[in-house]
Amino acid sequence: MEVRKFVLKRFVEIFIIFFVILTVLFLLFRLAPGDPVTRMVDPTLTPEDSQHLIAQLGLDQPMGLQYLYYIKNFLTGNFGNSFHYGETVSSIIWSRLPNTIILFTTSILLSAFVGVFLGKIASWKKGTKTDTWMTLGALVCHTLFLPWLAMLMIWIFGFKIGWFPLNGMISPEIWMDPSSGVWLKILDVLHHMVLPLATLFSIHFGSYLLLMRSSMLDTLKEDYILTARAKGLEEKTIRNKHAAPNAALPVVTSVGISLAFSLSGGALTETVFSWPGIGRELVFAVSNSDYPLAQGSFLLIAIVVLMANLVVDVLYAYLDPRIKY
Amino acid sequence: MELTDPMKNLLSRSAWTAVIVAGLLLFVLSCVDKKDARFLKVGLPEEPKTFNIWLASDANSKKILSLIYQPLYLRDPETLDLIPWLASGEPQYDPATISYTVRLKPAKWSDGSHLTSYDVAFTASLIKEFKIPRYYSSWKFIKKIETPDNHTVRFYLEEPKAIFLTRTLTSSIVSKKEWADISQGARTQQKPLKALINHKVEKPMGCGPFVLEKWGRGTYIHLQKNRYFFGLHQEIGGRVLGPYVNDLLFKVYGTADVAVLALKKGDIDLFWWGIQPGYIDNLKQDRNIKIFYGKKSALYFLGFNLRTLPFSDVNLRKAVAVLVDKEFIISRILQEYGTRMDSIIPTGNRYWFCSDVSCYGDGMDRNQRIKEAYHILHTAGYTWEVPPVDEGGRVVPGKGIRMPDGQPMKKITILTPPADYDPHRAMSGMMIQEWLKVLGITAASRPMAFGALLDQIKGRHEFDAFILGYGRLSMDPDYLRNFFHSANDKERGWNMSGYNNPKFDRIAEKSASEMNPELRQKLIHEMQKIIMADVPYLPIYNPALLEAVRTDTFSGWVETLDGIGNIWSYCLVRQNDATSP
Repeated sequence: MEVRKFVLKRFVEIFIIFFVILTVLFLLFRLAPGDPVTRMVDPTLTPEDSQHLIAQLGLDQPMGLQYLYYIKNFLTGNFGNSFHYGETVSSIIWSRLPNTIILFTTSILLSAFVGVFLGKIASWKKGTKTDTWMTLGALVCHTLFLPWLAMLMIWIFGFKIGWFPLNGMISPEIWMDPSSGVWLKILDVLHHMVLPLATLFSIHFGSYLLLMRSSMLDTLKEDYILTARAKGLEEKTIRNKHAAPNAALPVVTSVGISLAFSLSGGALTETVFSWPGIGRELVFAVSNSDYPLAQGSFLLIAIVVLMANLVVDVLYAYLDPRIKY
Repeated sequence: MELTDPMKNLLSRSAWTAVIVAGLLLFVLSCVDKKDARFLKVGLPEEPKTFNIWLASDANSKKILSLIYQPLYLRDPETLDLIPWLASGEPQYDPATISYTVRLKPAKWSDGSHLTSYDVAFTASLIKEFKIPRYYSSWKFIKKIETPDNHTVRFYLEEPKAIFLTRTLTSSIVSKKEWADISQGARTQQKPLKALINHKVEKPMGCGPFVLEKWGRGTYIHLQKNRYFFGLHQEIGGRVLGPYVNDLLFKVYGTADVAVLALKKGDIDLFWWGIQPGYIDNLKQDRNIKIFYGKKSALYFLGFNLRTLPFSDVNLRKAVAVLVDKEFIISRILQEYGTRMDSIIPTGNRYWFCSDVSCYGDGMDRNQRIKEAYHILHTAGYTWEVPPVDEGGRVVPGKGIRMPDGQPMKKITILTPPADYDPHRAMSGMMIQEWLKVLGITAASRPMAFGALLDQIKGRHEFDAFILGYGRLSMDPDYLRNFFHSANDKERGWNMSGYNNPKFDRIAEKSASEMNPELRQKLIHEMQKIIMADVPYLPIYNPALLEAVRTDTFSGWVETLDGIGNIWSYCLVRQNDATSP
């Protein structure tokens, strides 16, 4: 099958899957117990107020009608207004998304880069002390409880030693000062990024290391590696040119999907470090029945993950010429 | 592993670059961070959601807005009496026309324009026309408003309403200039209220001590002193008001752990949220931190479903009330940071609180409680396979309790919020479950997600008992009527227990229209006695409000019910080394 046909077929599949997700999301929030108004524990909110508010938010309509409006609004690019912010969902998402990308996408790329690099070394030195320590280190880091590690980082480097800010994304004092230049502001964001990035990196790089190591070990057993050795090629060439690119295929899938999911941020990391990303908004929206905001955020993640899957599939064919569509 | 030379060079260069950048970063930013001494820095647990006063329902938005929009009358922090704030004197009541006349102080909005009686009338008409939730119930009974001159407002009431003084006159006033066009635009929409509350307010125009200078979304909120503040250098309530700080900076701390570290480090001067008792010992060791032990206007209670058996029987409710060891909950679960509650109105609300109510189980030990509960139920006709008190008067584990009609009592479920939402309530539920078991009652505490819990209690009324709490009850006791009047026993109504007592309803209605404070106080006391005799709710505790501030930077915090984070504090707090800004 040609790549063009394959991509077209996958687009049709993605469209169907996306429509299913769209519908499931709608039902999931409506069928969950409680609604945004019931959650408001305020004795000054009378039952009449509640009814009025529900009618204004359109939640008094039959579910079928609500669904039709939902689909219509989605097709016109209108995700609606958040029940709590009052603003359009798209403006909330776009204001938070860059913050999430800066931190989480960077952490995934950095973890993948270092993880693959070290995984390659570990597999090549299988059975040595280097391999043992690297594997052990990766396992420990991978299984660390993120909020605990984050608090430890904050306590040591933010509070005790004082090298880095405790939390947040910027120092308001710098950003409010008109004399602060762009570079100082960039430095300020980088300064704030260090601890959350280090925490995320510590948690994630281990999984890439282990994945690469395991994949590389499998690859090294392949006949073509034996052939390469029989041809008298240098060990370095066998490792870097023959083994590593083939071993990297599962890592590519993992990184691709992780990158897509990185858009959803991480509620725990964002909460502990008060990082104004999309993860906290997602948790807030779900726990406060803010349907439009929750739906909008999940749909964005769904679109990106589905597209990432497609990109990874196409990338596979590029990386491994044996794969034909 | 062998590295190629270019790779070695690349790694080496990267490492050096990283070290240099990190060093530069630390040096530059450690210098810059010291430039912020003039700010009073306040930590918030979450970012405010909106500065549209009509939409704001979260605590943090309301906190910031309380420093911007102002009411006509405000509570004195010590006496809790209402004192003129935007008003220049007491409201003048005319019983013949059921009207109140209020004179306004000379005041300006933050843009320098004059605040007039027309703004007050506009606020009223806006709330009534759009039926703005949370506000409408405090304004709907106003028949008309006259504005004889720029500084006089006359409110005509449809009927006497006690909450007019305590709720209507304490509502925030908005500027006609700010909201006239917005409301006009909203009127043309299919859903006017939705359009009004969804309007994005970038710069709220208030007349309070501070104005919003900048909202760095997700990062900080900067408020500046309002130079047009009507109270500036004026004596109100016996205090010469500032504000004496030029800038307030609000930062978000997602966890209390980090907020406490920030307080200790000096990143913030106050965390505007209660501190958990677990942090107190640690904070006490810092001589630059002071802890305020305040009272809350709160109510944490066990509610019963009176609509169905078994809790439709008052005797069972009384027996459970006797069994619940409030002192144990306060000492073991709240670690002594709380007070026992025996009435619906908190003790801190001194004027309305009634101490002459039934105090179930007060002063009893465990065995006495069980015996007393057994006595109540036995007298009411309950029977057991194995009674909890044997013939020798000894307490033994009860078994197989039967209702007065001989039917076995069904398993009772106590709904609570989950432990991650409120560990105190979840733990209290588990303790009560164990105490009930001693009496032979099969009970289970069931923590559930807050939204689902409210839906089950308020929406569907499918429950036996629940533990809930109100963290910030208003000073006016009209919520008693809301909670227990039979008219509010409906879907989404606040009478969650389904309490129905015509005598209570009559007194509650009378109290709502009684304009004489002394007479109303008697009625409110009577209502508390009736409630505590029928026990639809069993008040359990009022948690202490623990707040921590730095003492080396700012001082002058004003304590009142609900803590030091109040408008009086922000009007009076001063930088330690400055007399005046």
